[in-house]
Amino acid sequence: MNPLFVFQLRRVARNRQFLFFTVLLPALFTVFFTRVFAGTAGGVSPEQAVATMVSMMAYGAVGAALGATVRLSFDRASGWLRQLRVTPVPQTSVVAVDVAVGMLLTLPPLVVVALTGRFVNGVHLAPGEWVGLIGVLWLGSAVFVALGLLLGWALEEKAAGGAIGIVGTVLAALGGLWVPVELFPSGLRAVAHGLPSYWYAETGRAAAAGELPPVLAVGALVGFTAVFAALAVLVARRRPLAAVAG
Amino acid sequence: MPPDALALTDLTVRHGDVLAVDGLDLRIGRGETVALLGPNGAGKSTTVSAVLGLLRPHAGTVRVLGRAPADAVRAGCVGAMLQHGGLPGEARAGEVLQLVRRSYADAWPLDDLVATTGIGGLLDRDVDALSGGQRQRVLLALALAGQPPLLLLDEPTSAMDVEGRRAFWATMRDLAARGTTVVFATHHLEEADAVADRVVVMARGRVVADGPSAGLRSAVAGRTVRFSASDGSTFDRVPGVTGATRLGGTVALATTDVEATLRALLADGVPLDDLEVRGASLEDAVLSLVGGGR
Repeated sequence: MNPLFVFQLRRVARNRQFLFFTVLLPALFTVFFTRVFAGTAGGVSPEQAVATMVSMMAYGAVGAALGATVRLSFDRASGWLRQLRVTPVPQTSVVAVDVAVGMLLTLPPLVVVALTGRFVNGVHLAPGEWVGLIGVLWLGSAVFVALGLLLGWALEEKAAGGAIGIVGTVLAALGGLWVPVELFPSGLRAVAHGLPSYWYAETGRAAAAGELPPVLAVGALVGFTAVFAALAVLVARRRPLAAVAG
Repeated sequence: MPPDALALTDLTVRHGDVLAVDGLDLRIGRGETVALLGPNGAGKSTTVSAVLGLLRPHAGTVRVLGRAPADAVRAGCVGAMLQHGGLPGEARAGEVLQLVRRSYADAWPLDDLVATTGIGGLLDRDVDALSGGQRQRVLLALALAGQPPLLLLDEPTSAMDVEGRRAFWATMRDLAARGTTVVFATHHLEEADAVADRVVVMARGRVVADGPSAGLRSAVAGRTVRFSASDGSTFDRVPGVTGATRLGGTVALATTDVEATLRALLADGVPLDDLEVRGASLEDAVLSLVGGGR
């Protein structure tokens, strides 16, 4: 396996806060929203249990994808990226490893929240639907990996950490991951439709129902990914890696 | 004939409106130990960055061991300590070192590398727990990891204490003795004087002097005549004097002709208490070179 890939994964694994916020927290929310909130009213309907699970899978994946990739801002600030540039490690593999690590780290929240839905909340899907659900949300998380890389290149170290919290919250709250979009006033619903997180959850909801993801949702996700990736490349190219002074 | 370790031709780099390197021509042969000396803003770091392919020059060419900078780095021909290079957080020093070692085809054997750079006790430490001097030693180990024929060091000792500096330069002399080409940027004159067999003085993006440090000193032919004098008297018109400075009760006259100056002073009956005559130090040489043409 690529040594840089292993190296980067080991670094993230050391970060307990990252694991807590991206894996445990969405799983706890899944239980909280269904058991604690609705527990008094005789439990939630199976449909609500599925919807909550899908939303929390999406929420966890958004956090993990953004949190894993924005770390590049810290490596830029510490000078590590510059140091790496003067070793034979090719620049393309540095970028590829960032993408691969981001993609891989969205899997744990997806799987853990799915397991929570299945074994704590009693969600029952066909085996193919489980695979489709996790697969669709995993592939779709590329849009947030691209967004995280864009923010990582665009923002300074101190701004990046805070920005990720705010961006993640906005994507979750306004994209209908915490409160279903159906309960939004119409103006806010229009905002939701302008966010990748809404379309991301849409593909998940379709997959959980055993359907193919809507073309519009897939198109929106592909479009957002392309724009974020292109902007990330543009910003990265404008970033000087050389020392300017002296 | 093998290509030069470094060949810069008409190198020009701008940072926005600032001309950082201005048509620099520089050749460094294999096995040389060269100091790039100059004040902040002279263009030393920019030159190092261009040699490493970290920035794209606006004009001119850079050849590193006969290759383009990025190719030389990819081939493992160059090791570098950067002024703003760093180590990654949430990692142990040994993990970082192994990652970099594994990127080279012909890595320096770990035990020997660790002993040479004196980082034996640091491999299991978190990078964030290292002191400034310890970080520099780990960064040196990264620079040496591939046994590169060319070493580029940009103010490598800035975070080191006296003891650390001494050990560092001893290591550099060993490497140079083994045939490694060592190029380092510094504004410590004593380092350039003690370590380099050739000093390239830069100012405002240009080379203002280039030669062995002894030769550089003699290039400034002048000497300084220093003595205690009462306030009020001026010495600008004394024969041979090119400049007079006064610091408290001491007058320092830069002169091109010590004899004529002293004769004139004695003839005028100037009391020469605490008289002192000395040749230019490397510092004087550099200051006069850097100040020239301003």
